[in-house]
Amino acid sequence: MSDVLHVTGLTRRFGAVVANDDVTLRVRPGEVVGLLGHNGAGKTTLVSQVVGLLRPDAGTIRVGGTDAVAHPAAARRHVALQPQAQAPIDGLTPRTAIELAGRVRGLSARRARAAAEELADELDIRPWLDRRALPEGRGLSGGIRRLTAFAMTVVAPTPLLVLDEPTNDIDASRRRLLWEAVRRRGDAGAGVLLVTHNVTEAERIVDELVVLDRGRVVASGSPTRLRGTQDTDLRLELQLPPDGAADVLDGPPVTVLRTVRAGRRVLLTVPAGQAAAAVTWATSLRDAGRVDGYSLAPATLEDAYLALTSPADDAAPSAATDQEPARV
Amino acid sequence: MSETRTALPSRPAPVQVSQGSTYRTLLRWQVASIGPFLPLVVIIQALLAGGIIVGFGFLIPDIDPATALFLSTGAPTVLLLTIGLVIVPQGVARARTDGTFNYMRSLPIARPLLLAAEMTVWLLIALPSVAVGVLVARLRYDLTFSFDWPVLVLAALLVTLMATAVGYAIAVSLQPMLAQLVTQVLVFFVLLFSPITFPAAQLPTWFQNLHDVLPARPGADLLRAGLASQTFEASGRDLLVLAVWCVLGVAVTLRALVRRG
Repeated sequence: MSDVLHVTGLTRRFGAVVANDDVTLRVRPGEVVGLLGHNGAGKTTLVSQVVGLLRPDAGTIRVGGTDAVAHPAAARRHVALQPQAQAPIDGLTPRTAIELAGRVRGLSARRARAAAEELADELDIRPWLDRRALPEGRGLSGGIRRLTAFAMTVVAPTPLLVLDEPTNDIDASRRRLLWEAVRRRGDAGAGVLLVTHNVTEAERIVDELVVLDRGRVVASGSPTRLRGTQDTDLRLELQLPPDGAADVLDGPPVTVLRTVRAGRRVLLTVPAGQAAAAVTWATSLRDAGRVDGYSLAPATLEDAYLALTSPADDAAPSAATDQEPARV
Repeated sequence: MSETRTALPSRPAPVQVSQGSTYRTLLRWQVASIGPFLPLVVIIQALLAGGIIVGFGFLIPDIDPATALFLSTGAPTVLLLTIGLVIVPQGVARARTDGTFNYMRSLPIARPLLLAAEMTVWLLIALPSVAVGVLVARLRYDLTFSFDWPVLVLAALLVTLMATAVGYAIAVSLQPMLAQLVTQVLVFFVLLFSPITFPAAQLPTWFQNLHDVLPARPGADLLRAGLASQTFEASGRDLLVLAVWCVLGVAVTLRALVRRG
């Protein structure tokens, strides 16, 4: 089966900042590919090039077999994008907005009406379906607007769905509905490129993951492969006191498979067999006042993700990670 | 007919919609989103018409019928230019800032249709200005107009399209903040420094020559000829100048809509 999205060697600069640096990735039909990365990692820049809002400096983008760099208008007919910014629905009700988006995406008037009804139930937004969105964020909450924007994107079957942070502002129960809706679109044959920094939730529905860091692909593969450890491994999370030093980690009495420092948190991946030893050690650290607290849980993808994207050398923090050149 | 259904769902296909259908959908989208502001736009037009026809009248003591006619037949042009050169670019600048502009550009549509739909909506909003202007002039000065309908319709359409296209072009060519600033300056230029509500002969010669190639004076004179055909005459040259500005505005806008950053 041919890819619905095939990106090779994609490079895009903004002045001195390289927002996308030789990025290669693919999305097959029926596949949900998560694109992970910190703010400013280049995710939105990548998406903007796929839909023809930005022109790449180098590299190729093929969308459904069409060269998206040479023929952006033709390529756009294969793509539905939910951008990170809110969709323009001021003056509209979610129902009208979804129907209009369906019409633009080729549904008949009758089919568009039915699709709006189905999506209202699928995303549990029926109480707001006929409430008008007003300017300055009045009328509808940010979460309902975001769900409406999602519905506008998926209203018609489209070969490639590109969702840029679709769960922002959405409450936990409807986030779950949205993830399920994304998975359903994939199972129905659409390729999905899912841009998110919600690693833990995305892990459950993605087939493949691509991790971007400072414009480069630093890892890709299935969640299991990226986790890189046994499913049985555990994560020992130590919460350091405000002025705590990481030297508490010197000479731990357990086998540490991976260490990630994230702010005042230190995440250690340890084998399941050493759970008791890990707890004993962590308790002693807490009693000695060297950590504020600890927790022991199954290792997650987030640990692997943080390990991949945290600066390798703390002594030389990169300026690029703090910049946000990718807003379009 | 036998039913041939496969177990696998059919793969989603690329969007196939006729341009006419897309245009109608975009038009509905535009009308629906501008809808809540429409009463405000109509009130602003009425106030502007009153302000120009009644207010400018105060500047001229013992206004004679000829001057009143000139003032009144210029007022609709001021209204159309204000909408096209000020309200339109401010809306576009806002759309660029809040992401609407790029959202619409990422849809599976021919991007020129975005401009077509938007210009249609502005035509619908702006054209009643001409009627409002005529009505206010009748009430205030008890004037009788002599309409030349073909010229009037052509002039009103062309002035509105030109102002909307140029306004759009300004908004997509400049940074949103700068575009807002330029439109503020344009209001003053249109209201006070363009021979729309007063005869061009009152200006220095070099400024008259400049106004021969700018769109304001030709637009005003053309519309005037449509409203009071017994007093004023339409000129082919004015029509040409307007058309050139119209094409220029549309070309710059289309380029910005299609262009990738």
